[in-house]
Amino acid sequence: MIALSVILGFFNEYRAEKIVVDLRKNVSIKAVVTRDGKPSEIDSRLLVPGDLVSVYVGDIVPADMRIVESKGLQVNEAVLTGESFPVEKTSDSLDLKQPTPQQLTNYQFMGTVVVHGSGRGVVVSTGKNTEFGAISRSLARSHPETEFQKGVKKYGTMLLTLTLALAIGIFALNAAIGHPLIDSLLFSLAVAIGLVPELMPAIVTISLSQGAQKMARVRTIVKRLVSIEDFGNMNILCTDKTGTLTEGKIVLRDYYSLDEGRDLRILSYSLLCNTAVVGEKIAGNPMDVAIWEYATGNGAKESVKPYTKVDEIPFDYQRRMMSVAVRKDDELILISKGAPESVLSRCKYAEITRRNEPISSVLESINAKFFDMSQLGYRILTVAYRNVDAKTSYSVEDETDLTLLGFLVFTDPPKKDAHEAVNKLKGMGVDIKILTGDNELVAKKICDDLKVPVKRIVDGLDLTQMSSTEIREVVEETTIFARITPEQKLDIIKALKANGHVVGFMGDGVNDAPALYEADVGISVDTAVDVSKDAADIVLLEKDLLVLANGIGEGRKIFGNTTKYILMGTSSNFGNMFSAAAASVFLPFLPMLPMQILFMNLLYDVANMTLPTDNVDEEYTKWPKRWDIGFVRKYTLFFGPFSSLYDFLTYGIMLFIFGAWAATPDKAALFQSGWFVESFWTEVLVIFVIRTRRIPFLSSRPGKWLTVLTLSCVAFGTIVPFTILGNFLGFTPLPVDYWILLILMVATYLLLVDAGKVFFYKICKF
Amino acid sequence: MQYLDLFIWWAITISGGIAFLILVSIYLYANSRTKRKESRTTTNRVKLGKDFVFVWVLIGLLAFYIVSVNIRSPVIFASGNIIVEAILIVYLVKNRHEKSEQAPRPRSQ
Repeated sequence: MIALSVILGFFNEYRAEKIVVDLRKNVSIKAVVTRDGKPSEIDSRLLVPGDLVSVYVGDIVPADMRIVESKGLQVNEAVLTGESFPVEKTSDSLDLKQPTPQQLTNYQFMGTVVVHGSGRGVVVSTGKNTEFGAISRSLARSHPETEFQKGVKKYGTMLLTLTLALAIGIFALNAAIGHPLIDSLLFSLAVAIGLVPELMPAIVTISLSQGAQKMARVRTIVKRLVSIEDFGNMNILCTDKTGTLTEGKIVLRDYYSLDEGRDLRILSYSLLCNTAVVGEKIAGNPMDVAIWEYATGNGAKESVKPYTKVDEIPFDYQRRMMSVAVRKDDELILISKGAPESVLSRCKYAEITRRNEPISSVLESINAKFFDMSQLGYRILTVAYRNVDAKTSYSVEDETDLTLLGFLVFTDPPKKDAHEAVNKLKGMGVDIKILTGDNELVAKKICDDLKVPVKRIVDGLDLTQMSSTEIREVVEETTIFARITPEQKLDIIKALKANGHVVGFMGDGVNDAPALYEADVGISVDTAVDVSKDAADIVLLEKDLLVLANGIGEGRKIFGNTTKYILMGTSSNFGNMFSAAAASVFLPFLPMLPMQILFMNLLYDVANMTLPTDNVDEEYTKWPKRWDIGFVRKYTLFFGPFSSLYDFLTYGIMLFIFGAWAATPDKAALFQSGWFVESFWTEVLVIFVIRTRRIPFLSSRPGKWLTVLTLSCVAFGTIVPFTILGNFLGFTPLPVDYWILLILMVATYLLLVDAGKVFFYKICKF
Repeated sequence: MQYLDLFIWWAITISGGIAFLILVSIYLYANSRTKRKESRTTTNRVKLGKDFVFVWVLIGLLAFYIVSVNIRSPVIFASGNIIVEAILIVYLVKNRHEKSEQAPRPRSQ
């Protein structure tokens, strides 16, 4: 245990150090600052609030800034929000009460990346006072104890109490009835050692490392071994939406004309008015790529063949649209494609059922439709056109009096296997809660598409009004938490933990790192930012809930085998040591010498070494399990006496049938040998009964290595009394009659334990 | 210690062990009924008797073991064990059904 603690402690320290290094890597950047009217480049650590800082494409924002000037400024805030779409930033003032960082479109945050345009901003906060700094502060603490660690601690306390009570009691009783003090002390110490499952750290470590290897085969990398058990036992998974429930990639869902029909010209025009580079792969602007992928998938790319491109008016962020002039036969057409508000403002007509209507007559309904769609998470691009006269080149001045043709609807679609994965997790007893920065309509739409039942939706703003008690109530019945901040993610996880759940959190942004740290199991993905991966316990090689479900199954098997060792160890050890204690009181000699007890303990531990490789019954992995110290106590109380009972019976046989009551040294050695073999057989063979709730061997086969090693140990323990080693340990060969009785007695014992198991599991649930 | 004293001690110890096991069984049974909120009035005596077959087996075993050890006959002890094993196998076959092997769904928090 001490070694395990040291190793875990070392890894915790190492990880914390690595997180700090990664954070530093992300924030050690240069900034262009204007002081006294002169621009200069300085280390971002030297910035102070009030500095005027300029940012350009490719820059990492050096501090939290209020934007005062924006030229098509777009920032990728994925490191903070996890959302991959760039966010447009302006200097416009906002009228928001208690805005979330996502809503602050006139702010730039430290660590985010400028992907388009340029801008200037006044530094508001720097270093640890920024949003990024708040995250790094929350990581500068030790990892909270997992449910498994808490369980082990409780188990250790229970065992320590039991061992101390028994050891002191045995020593006092033996001393009181006149046994030599040294003998009494050695015997009580041997009993205490016999009670301690000293192999538990090794069993746990072997289980965990083997489990980690198996999980790696199902594309799940375990970073913190101790979290595997909690991974299997988690009953709530908090996750974001993008890339988990959705593909995390933009696709063209469909295209529509204004009469809700489908006009192929919309697709053809948007293929012509397009910046994607089409080769073996299609690359470029995600929306343009999506159009090409759709056309390729639907055999529509040939529709552009009759057209010849004449000129192009490139996209820019002021106009938020682009145009091309194309020729078809003798006709010259200017095609424009772009953001609805930009294109609509340049349209004079709208084409409805092949007839041009004034745009003013339909503008209101079109805007309402676009608003509704954008609220549901769709991205819209509009396509317009007009016939133009031939000339050498075209400019933005030509983008007037356009006729609106139709629109393209883009979406980040639900993953094909997400429904199956959600159902699989539900079937495994894991409830999913969605924590998203998006609005509730978008999240609800995805859940509806995936047929995920939504009990309740709570908005981040509502959450800010709630007390911690109210949050604890709300988290129980809420499926979607929309528009929430990183701090609120943390609050939700804390509340769920306080309600007694084992909580997993899946995230990939820097903003997710504190929640990953706080959750019982932090799950990140290979494509996540380094800080997020470092803070996580488990890293998935694919952001896929099915991969997660497979990993959970492995985690449960590991927990199952660890639990088997604990249940067997405490119950049979407790039984044996209790009977040793009782016998030492009324027997005229020690029932087993201290060295014999330690030897038996060693053999028992060797037999258990292959327990981590044991098979786990399917029903055991069906639902999440919890560390239930009450159950371990009941199990020990119930199954411990079985072992004692058969020890007492062996005493009777040795004393009264084989004459050991005479208490001569020979008879004492016979007694000790008889009890050693019986005690060892029952202690080791009971593994096959206790390891399953089913009929041993017939409906639940033990692992082959467990069977081989256990039976080998039994064979070795059986022949020891006949060997020189046995002689050295004080054993003596046993008569044939005894072996016959022993076989029958042990068979009865195993059947009785199996019968006890039926009775016990009827009334005690685990 | 004289043979008789030793035998009495032994008989007390093994009886104490079985008594402890029976008490634990009764405690666990009562505890589970309390959790399931079953009142005493609904207890069917036949059902109670069936539920405690396991305890009756234990009491029977105790009597058999004390008698057979007292007689000091390995043959009686061996044949008695075979009978007990047969009884236990019948008990297991009758009581072992799929439902009892299924792990229950955890209680909602």
